[in-house]
Amino acid sequence: MYALEIRGLGKTFRGKKLRTVEALKGIDLCVEQGEVLGFLGPNGAGKSTTIKCLMGLIRPTVGSATILGRDIASAEARTSVGYLPENPAFYDYLSAEEYLLFVGRAFGMQGDLLSRRCEEVLKQLELWEPRRRLIRTYSKGMVQRVGLAQVLLHDPEVYILDEPMSGLDPIGRALVKEIVLDLKRRGKCVFFSTHITDDVEKVCDRVAVINHGELKVVDRVENILMRGTEGYAVSIAAADGSVEERVVAEAQLQGVISDAVAAGRSILKVEPRRKSMEAFFLDIVGH
Amino acid sequence: MSRHVATILLLAGLIGYGAVIVPFAGYMRAKPVEEKLGYVPSVKVLKSLSVDQKEVAGAALVFKVLMYYGTLMGDLPKGAIVNGPGDLPGMSRLLHAAVQLDPYNMDAYYFAQGILTWDAHQYQVANNLLDYGMKYRTWDWFLPFFAGFNSAYFLKDYKKAAHYYDLAGDLSGEPLYKSLASRYMQESGETDLAIAYLGGMVKTAKNEAVKKSYQLRLSAFQEVRRIEQARDRFRADKGSLPISVEQLVQSGYLKSVPVDPYGGSFYLGPDGKVATTSKFALGVTKK
Amino acid sequence: MLNIMMVTLKGIFRDRVFQGIMALAVLFLFIPSAASLSMRQVTELSVTLSLSLISFILLLLSVFLGGTSLWRDIERRYSYSVLSLPLRRSSYVLGRFLGLALFMLLTSTVLGLASCAAIAVSSTLYPAERPVVWGFLLLALVYATLKYVLLVAVALLLSTVSTSFFLPIFGTICTYLASGISQQVYEYVHSPAAAQAVSPMLKQAVTVAYYLIPNLAGFDLKLNAIYGVAPNPGGLALTAAYFLTYTAILLGASILVFNRREMK
Repeated sequence: MYALEIRGLGKTFRGKKLRTVEALKGIDLCVEQGEVLGFLGPNGAGKSTTIKCLMGLIRPTVGSATILGRDIASAEARTSVGYLPENPAFYDYLSAEEYLLFVGRAFGMQGDLLSRRCEEVLKQLELWEPRRRLIRTYSKGMVQRVGLAQVLLHDPEVYILDEPMSGLDPIGRALVKEIVLDLKRRGKCVFFSTHITDDVEKVCDRVAVINHGELKVVDRVENILMRGTEGYAVSIAAADGSVEERVVAEAQLQGVISDAVAAGRSILKVEPRRKSMEAFFLDIVGH
Repeated sequence: MSRHVATILLLAGLIGYGAVIVPFAGYMRAKPVEEKLGYVPSVKVLKSLSVDQKEVAGAALVFKVLMYYGTLMGDLPKGAIVNGPGDLPGMSRLLHAAVQLDPYNMDAYYFAQGILTWDAHQYQVANNLLDYGMKYRTWDWFLPFFAGFNSAYFLKDYKKAAHYYDLAGDLSGEPLYKSLASRYMQESGETDLAIAYLGGMVKTAKNEAVKKSYQLRLSAFQEVRRIEQARDRFRADKGSLPISVEQLVQSGYLKSVPVDPYGGSFYLGPDGKVATTSKFALGVTKK
Repeated sequence: MLNIMMVTLKGIFRDRVFQGIMALAVLFLFIPSAASLSMRQVTELSVTLSLSLISFILLLLSVFLGGTSLWRDIERRYSYSVLSLPLRRSSYVLGRFLGLALFMLLTSTVLGLASCAAIAVSSTLYPAERPVVWGFLLLALVYATLKYVLLVAVALLLSTVSTSFFLPIFGTICTYLASGISQQVYEYVHSPAAAQAVSPMLKQAVTVAYYLIPNLAGFDLKLNAIYGVAPNPGGLALTAAYFLTYTAILLGASILVFNRREMK
């Protein structure tokens, strides 16, 4: 059973003046349990539309999807999901603590378990001190942390995060990455959308690239990075102390190194030169 | 820039307000009272506009009339002559509208009884209104009591009056009204009937303006009775009717010259009936 | 559903609109003195003013809170975080409605107590010829509450259709106004006097509108409370049944519409 299974998902919006916009054109995608998948695409590619379909916020025109085997059309499919909306907003007349209690009850949590989990996530996300203040008074970063807290609260198996790092400062980004890596260690499935390639490179097992409502590539991150290797930068120090830097193709690498060693020069460093994830992404989306 | 604009506007406004407010308030105060009764839309419109606030709308109309009447009465210095009955048709129209909005509103009937009879001489209109009210206020003995008085005193319809007084007696449980009916059901008892009625009205009146108007009328009728008693003594002694009120004063049957609080002067009709040039109404005098 | 209900209640109590409207309740303090202006019916007038004030406050609350409750969730994008919880849309809509209804009930209880105090003061200062029948006053309060709860359901239905607050708020106000005159217009159109002046088409249109628009006039028991006139028990039962069926229809339609609504 897949954590997420998307089959031929399509969505057509009715625009103004009877024009229709095909936002999703038959997406097929499966995500394993325990896998972190980066959902990469430029703005307007259909990332949020896909996620909103999964969360029952909009209904797909064609196709189907399941979360842990449960059809997304039913509310039960969402019981084992933690969802963070893009630029989230939460009832701002509640305090963080009240909001988490509300969310926990919606997931059927009660009593001691709920209050214990509330305390844990509030402390984890450094919201313990201001937990009694109304969300209305929070900064943007704090609201995002409330969002993460409500995602983690019921310890679900599947995490669907829509642009979890957008608009965060470096500290916030680091926090999100740490959380995702922690979830990965604990064997959870994380599906997060982003348009920042660096995030994907650092935390994902696999990446799916979407553009104009179509999936372009789905592959493992290391495969993509490997495929992009263009050669190696080799730094060699001569006897007089001068440093020579050369870029050599993979086939010549062995020869260059042994030649240098034979000539009594020392090799300072060998670095693979490869196209970054960003270059790869730009190639796909056609810029 | 915008601070300057604000300051200038504020200053100019304050100076202008200071210059205008005194004359404006003076103008509003000096506005003739007739105008203040104002325009009231038709009952149909009022009924629609007041939706489920018909009772308040009805009460508001009564108060409008009452305030107007209050200014009318309140303007006079003590003992002065009232110089105008006010806008009687206007007041009557508003009171009729009030009971259409709230057919139970006792204030409206009470007040209408006061002005429609003594001031406007619309006896039948008054009784129709009271009949309308009796359909709703089935417990209230005041309405048949008023109607009985109107029938007996003004309309001289003794049969009808007896019927109303019977009803009032039944509702109040006071046999007084039935005896009242038989005692005064003749032309000669007219003045006593009016004094009994007015005395009761003065005693139960709560509103100052209303009380004042009943008091005024009561004192006029007390003067009439004084003259009548003197006239009757004169006839018993001399065997003929006196020619004039002055004759009664000169011959000592009247201790002091009777004063008509409405500003008229009393005279004796050819049949010996006491009348006054004011016709017991405000503003008809001063020929 | 209970969860949404409690959150709705909390939200209302922390809402500035509510706080502003409730400031009107200060007017209860002035009722005894205003009522003493009456010539012959001080107690009656204090009952009139109390019930009217309650009616007015409940109207404002039902229009503004009922009309903005769903709209605000969508406008401020709370709907993404709430509707993605494992909640059915139906429980969300019903929870909202029940929260608002419970709130109306609480408000009218509090205001009802305030008006009882005001009326008690008036009637001790100027004892009435006919004593206040407290049972009728209670009935009038209960039915007024039902009326405005029904209006909340109207507002809720309109806000499931609309993307702005304009339709829910003004639509509800118009419904309220229309509900007050529909009976009159219907009776006029079907009276012999109007037979010549009204075309058969218009007559039919008015008849359709009459059955479509909620008939709120039946919920008005002010006269009974003010003048101590016993209401008709059969009529009360019919009115209560009317409330239940009409509200059920409104809620059913709201859920149906909201189920189809997409949170783009």
